[in-house]
Amino acid sequence: MTTYNLYIGCSVPVNYPNYEAAMIKVAQAFNMDLVYMEGVGCCGSPNLRAMDHRGWITVNARTLAIADKTGYDIVTPCNGCFGSLKDVHHHLMHDAEERAKVNEILKKEGLEFKGNAKPRHFAEALYHDIGIEEIKKKITKPLDGVGIAIHYGCHLLRPDDVTEFKPEYLQELVEVTGASVIDYPLWKQCCGATVLPVDEDIAIRLARDKVKSMKEAGAAFATVVCPACGNQLDLQQLGLKESYGEVYNLPVLVYPQILGLAIGLNEEEVGLGMNRVPADPILDHLSG
Amino acid sequence: MGFNCAQVQRVLNQMSVVYLMTEMNERSSPPITLIDPIDMSKLDPKFRNEIKSMPNGEELSACFACSTCTAACPIANMWKYKPHQLIRMILLGMKEEVLSSNEIWLCLTCYQCQERCPQKVRVTDIFFDCKNLAAEEGKIPPNVVALAKELLTKGQLYTVTADWEREDMGLEPEVPGLSTEAIKNILKDTRTSRIVGGDK
Repeated sequence: MTTYNLYIGCSVPVNYPNYEAAMIKVAQAFNMDLVYMEGVGCCGSPNLRAMDHRGWITVNARTLAIADKTGYDIVTPCNGCFGSLKDVHHHLMHDAEERAKVNEILKKEGLEFKGNAKPRHFAEALYHDIGIEEIKKKITKPLDGVGIAIHYGCHLLRPDDVTEFKPEYLQELVEVTGASVIDYPLWKQCCGATVLPVDEDIAIRLARDKVKSMKEAGAAFATVVCPACGNQLDLQQLGLKESYGEVYNLPVLVYPQILGLAIGLNEEEVGLGMNRVPADPILDHLSG
Repeated sequence: MGFNCAQVQRVLNQMSVVYLMTEMNERSSPPITLIDPIDMSKLDPKFRNEIKSMPNGEELSACFACSTCTAACPIANMWKYKPHQLIRMILLGMKEEVLSSNEIWLCLTCYQCQERCPQKVRVTDIFFDCKNLAAEEGKIPPNVVALAKELLTKGQLYTVTADWEREDMGLEPEVPGLSTEAIKNILKDTRTSRIVGGDK
């Protein structure tokens, strides 16, 4: 059994308890011991980075320093948290001067950023530490014939020299469930979440373009690995009827829900009832 | 195969008609590529060095204005200043225009521009630097100030309200391990606190 520091962030526990629960159950099934980190809070998101770089660096360096004390890597289910932690980790590993400044502040709490504990996305930890072969052995209810469109989320993939996450990881993780990955033109495009506070119309247009592109390419489902992207594609999809006069009925599942169902967890265990766009078709498929 | 005089004359007439119409159109409205002249006295030659000294700003002057960043941006069509223009404006020293622009705050931070830049200019990161400079001058959208206030006073962006949803999923009603005090403590000594203070 491998132990990880679970950095849950602030959006998942509030907006997506089903994501949190499904991830923990999937982790248990694969002998990953996720331990909630003690004494940590919000990463600040790209919003904090935009207005207060120093504050953003310090907040995230502190989280990394707490993980350093335990000796275990961090895993997170949120692209925003992943992006922040990974970026700050990368920055401090390459800038000794900045690192010294931050450690001066952290010293007051008896903490020091060393950079030994790596920040990782839960999907990447599954891919590298468990591996596709081991995951395959546990698939009891394959999603054969289900076409799934992957929305990776910008901060999972880019900047790639920092995130070190390759699209193939998630692609293989979806394919191992028996589902097929649907190619669609806007696969790289942003969900719009980041501009939501600044321009809601643009944010919604981006979400709509994305859902439209997936649906037109023939996807039965979409999968995401981030609560902010999930919110844009799932919850905002309901509003498209009013703003665009369009109805897509494209269920959006977080990846652990998909893997969870494929390894035999039931719909309550992965919290399908909390998804905004009803996910009934996937259940019909599994029971049929 | 040859043309007779009448045919040649007809072709020439058509050409001249087309030519004249084009001329007239050009006279009635200037080509859209023309922009207002830059006021040289307002340029800040130090601006480019300021950006270059900020995180990931070093490659700024490698920009050769190919506008690949603009082609990659999913929302550049809605911007008054396109990404490649903003980079050029930084290089020219148009500090006031860049830091007052709405565009830097509309950046999705999707990194598609940065990923595709053939010169390895870290375009998205540079816009983050611009936002920090703008925030320092108090040029910051009200909704972003509201987020700063949330972070400073609550130590997080989202707070659990529907704890029954967590319990339904077999999770503890409160977020395990959550501490908001440390975040508040850090941010009270940084710019976040000045941004929120200026709002009062």
